[in-house]
Amino acid sequence: MNTLLFRGGTSRLHRANPLTKLAGLLWAVTAAFALPWQGAIALAIVFAVWGGVSGVGREFPRRLVIFLGPLTLALILIHAILMHHPDSRALGPLAFSWEGMMHAVKIVARLAAVVASSYLFVATTHPSDLLKAMDARGFPPAMSYLIASPLLLTEMFAMRTHTIRDAQRARGLAIDGSFWTRLRALPPLLFPVVTIGLVEADQRAASLTARGFRATPKRTIVDPPADSAAGIWLRRALVLAAIAQVGVGIWR
Amino acid sequence: MRFETRTLTLIGLGVVINIVAGQISSWLRLPIFLDSIGTILVAVLDGAMAGGATGLIANLVWGIIASPVEAAFAPVAIVIGLVAGVFARIGWYRQVWQVVVAGTAMAAGLTLVAIPIQILVFGGATGAGSDLAVAYFVHVGRTLASSVGVTVLLSNIADKIISALIVWSVIRRMPNRLSSTYPMLKYNRA
Repeated sequence: MNTLLFRGGTSRLHRANPLTKLAGLLWAVTAAFALPWQGAIALAIVFAVWGGVSGVGREFPRRLVIFLGPLTLALILIHAILMHHPDSRALGPLAFSWEGMMHAVKIVARLAAVVASSYLFVATTHPSDLLKAMDARGFPPAMSYLIASPLLLTEMFAMRTHTIRDAQRARGLAIDGSFWTRLRALPPLLFPVVTIGLVEADQRAASLTARGFRATPKRTIVDPPADSAAGIWLRRALVLAAIAQVGVGIWR
Repeated sequence: MRFETRTLTLIGLGVVINIVAGQISSWLRLPIFLDSIGTILVAVLDGAMAGGATGLIANLVWGIIASPVEAAFAPVAIVIGLVAGVFARIGWYRQVWQVVVAGTAMAAGLTLVAIPIQILVFGGATGAGSDLAVAYFVHVGRTLASSVGVTVLLSNIADKIISALIVWSVIRRMPNRLSSTYPMLKYNRA
């Protein structure tokens, strides 16, 4: 079961340092809110094209449509048709407002930029590379563990849940039928997963402690993602620009 | 703040339980999310801060594996963990009615945090079926904030009460060998 949105590749963006990409994502998200809606749309288009160039573009239109399609319809319904604005004009039993429509367009444009930039990040950055980059830059091991462990455990637990479901069904557990029948099936499916997980969490903690998980905060990483002085300065500039954009947003 | 190593492994487990419980809910075609059970469990076993951290990490991880936009709702997940932890600390996971009140408080707390996020970031909609409820409330003359608030509260209250009841049931059935290693449980077990 491949649970990640990551798509492998050898593009320049795939090879870029994950922390620099993360700083770029921070900049893009804040820019989406600081820019006028035309700028946000331009940003979304730039990221979509960049995704295409980097070999992860095929997913872009599908993801944008799945997320933005229903949202756009709902926003137009709420803001342009149902909410009252000074310029609302009668449209049969309802009303229509260009002011409300433009508000909906502004929100959709921002979200398109946010979704496109964040998808570009997760599609070109494998979590293990991000964790290596964090370790290489001296981030606390606890932070890396908190992000890594669920990603590593999810697949194992999903498979275990399948096994428990099959075993319980073999013992006669009904998972179809009325709402109450289905609700009653929840504890026999969930409780074994939780209990086994709690026992293992104890064992895992003991194992980490025994290995001196936190003994050396600055660990040497095998095969760390490439980094450079220019990359470090670029990250600083992007974070500062993001802070400035948040300031602009609040000031406006 | 610095979590103990055991708390870190527990937080990791809580995130995974959130994901797996959501998967079981979809198998059973239940009209509830159940994606906060792990957050509530960690809060009851290890305190409010651990619960809040579980909520935060769960949304960030969900952003990586499913939908990057989930990260925007991380503050909502943090509040669920914090409220669950506060109720655990005052020993409100002993009786069913106390657990129901705790679940209701979680739904109320997350609603307060979800309203500004849903309005300022998403314009009041999320692209889910609950948008129709928001549209209906707006149509009958409610403000956008109250429409979003009522919809979020209604769509979460049963979910959080059932999730809290499941956690209550888990800690009641937990073998002593396991429960004795969680000092927080002394507030909620006789």
